[in-house]
Amino acid sequence: MTFRALSIGFAFSTLLIYSLLVAALFYFLDPSLLSDSLASGRTLFSLRLSVLAATTATLLSLIIAVPAAFALSRYEFRGKIAIDTALELPMIVSPAALGAMILIFFNTPVGVWIQENWAQFVFTVHGVILAQFVTTCGIATRLVKAAIDEIPARYESVARSLGATPARAFLTVTLPLAKKGILAAAILSWAKALGEFGATITVAGSMAMKTETLPIAIFMRLSSAEVEGTVALILILIAIGLSILYGVRLLSQDSDYA
Amino acid sequence: MLEIEGISSKAGSFRLKQVSITVPKACCHVIVGPTGSGKTLLLESIIGLKKPEEGRILVDGRDVTHLSIEKRGISYVPQDLALFPHMSVRKNVLYSSKIRGMKVQSHNNMVTELVESLGIANIFDRSIKNLSGGERQRTALARAVASGCNHLLLDEPLSSLHESLKKDLWFLLKELQKKYDLTLLVVTHDLEEAFFLGDLVSVMIGGRVQQTGGKREVHQQPQTLEVARFLGIRNLFHSRGISGSGGMLSVFCRELGVNLSFSARNTGEAPGISHCSGTELIVGIRSTDVDMRPWSSQEANLSNVLKCKVLEVWEKGGSTIVTALPEGSTKQIEVEIQSDNRDNWGVTRGELVALALSPEKLHVLPSERSVSGFGG
Repeated sequence: MTFRALSIGFAFSTLLIYSLLVAALFYFLDPSLLSDSLASGRTLFSLRLSVLAATTATLLSLIIAVPAAFALSRYEFRGKIAIDTALELPMIVSPAALGAMILIFFNTPVGVWIQENWAQFVFTVHGVILAQFVTTCGIATRLVKAAIDEIPARYESVARSLGATPARAFLTVTLPLAKKGILAAAILSWAKALGEFGATITVAGSMAMKTETLPIAIFMRLSSAEVEGTVALILILIAIGLSILYGVRLLSQDSDYA
Repeated sequence: MLEIEGISSKAGSFRLKQVSITVPKACCHVIVGPTGSGKTLLLESIIGLKKPEEGRILVDGRDVTHLSIEKRGISYVPQDLALFPHMSVRKNVLYSSKIRGMKVQSHNNMVTELVESLGIANIFDRSIKNLSGGERQRTALARAVASGCNHLLLDEPLSSLHESLKKDLWFLLKELQKKYDLTLLVVTHDLEEAFFLGDLVSVMIGGRVQQTGGKREVHQQPQTLEVARFLGIRNLFHSRGISGSGGMLSVFCRELGVNLSFSARNTGEAPGISHCSGTELIVGIRSTDVDMRPWSSQEANLSNVLKCKVLEVWEKGGSTIVTALPEGSTKQIEVEIQSDNRDNWGVTRGELVALALSPEKLHVLPSERSVSGFGG
């Protein structure tokens, strides 16, 4: 067997693993239960909450990620390495640990003050959004930075020599050129937030019709041995996730500045 | 007018060392040098992308050294042109007008005329992605000129173009310079381009400006060995000065084993060469300036004429390169002759030839070892 055939075989083995997992779902799939599940108020609530929380968390992440990524991509400053390392925190700490860190923070005097005077986060929808925001902010920053890194800084230099201020050069040149990268980062962050479970359940709990996102609903159904219901919810999550990834592939097909 | 006064700058371990140049109003000053000599770093320091460690940058007498890029009043065309790929040609050219809010009719007329003269009116609404190399170049020039800044920095502006297109753009650039009174600072590694475009030419090597002057002066009177080498003078011989007075001076050329006389004018401004007795020198001559003819016994009595044996003959399209070894010497001389001259004569390997080194064409330079010793 040639090396080429062997390596392609390994590539297909990954597809086989995931295909088997998805195929297994269909063994337990009850089509009538799928439509019932889709129409149930609890599922629709979970779906709505998941989409709303993931969208809000993604927008908040991008508001910070875009300027932060620009700074990390273009400027040299003290503390840059520390920031760059901190972006990896959600990836090296398990989601449950990240959720626990948020809970612990709200038990410090600052956290207590925030909860008493500003907004309640623990066991609320705000907590869901915060958990997803903390999980996605670092990833969004890293993805946007990768998009900005690809754009030569000379574009901004030339824009500035033509009279643009740094902010104007960013808005008129860098941002439009990074548009696809930022959109791809937004979609991937959104997908990550949508599937987030560990941090969310730790901070916001698993209260039905209150903080029950789609992944939490899956966990709850499985805990109560409702396999068919679990399958229906997983298929909804997979359908959303795959559509998103397909969108990202389409967006990243060509580059304006290659 | 653009004045650079003693700019020193640093990029990694490379340093620009106290570079001073002046670009008079509506003139083109070309900085020519090999790759890695610091030309781009100098432009980046002038435009404001690199903060110089010392020195001043004056634009029409105004010190802009510490101003931000957009306040310097200098347009910049980088080597890759940096045309904004998400905009059309129109939006690129009008970018500065839009940013600066210029809606004056006279400016609009100027842009229309500029676009016409650069021949990009027919591609004005085309996407940048669909332009040829020449069209991209013209668009970049139009964008820089349309900004209304009369001071333009061009970094290897035509390096990616083929010869014919490049030469078209040389003429176009000179026309633009005249028409819009542009003060141009151009960097390039292309000697032909430098001597065509430049009213003034500076040779930059190793982060230093080695020589500045009018194009004829720099071409004909290189002042240092590095400049001579960069200008393509390949026949360079270690010598020692033996007399130095009047219009003609003499050296003993150790590597050729002969005395050579040369015109004192050929020493240029090189310090101390006019009082060269006993001084270590380098004598150089361009391969195109060596006169080659068949050897005859009458040649033996002529000064600056060497009896040589032809080692190799290489055809080079329109010219022929001949290497020849002078009698009693181990160092060969390179001669380039036009092919039609050779056709009349037909020099061949092993033939004896006379190489005449005209006193007017010899360059006399301080040797690397003796540079510090010059001055009397």
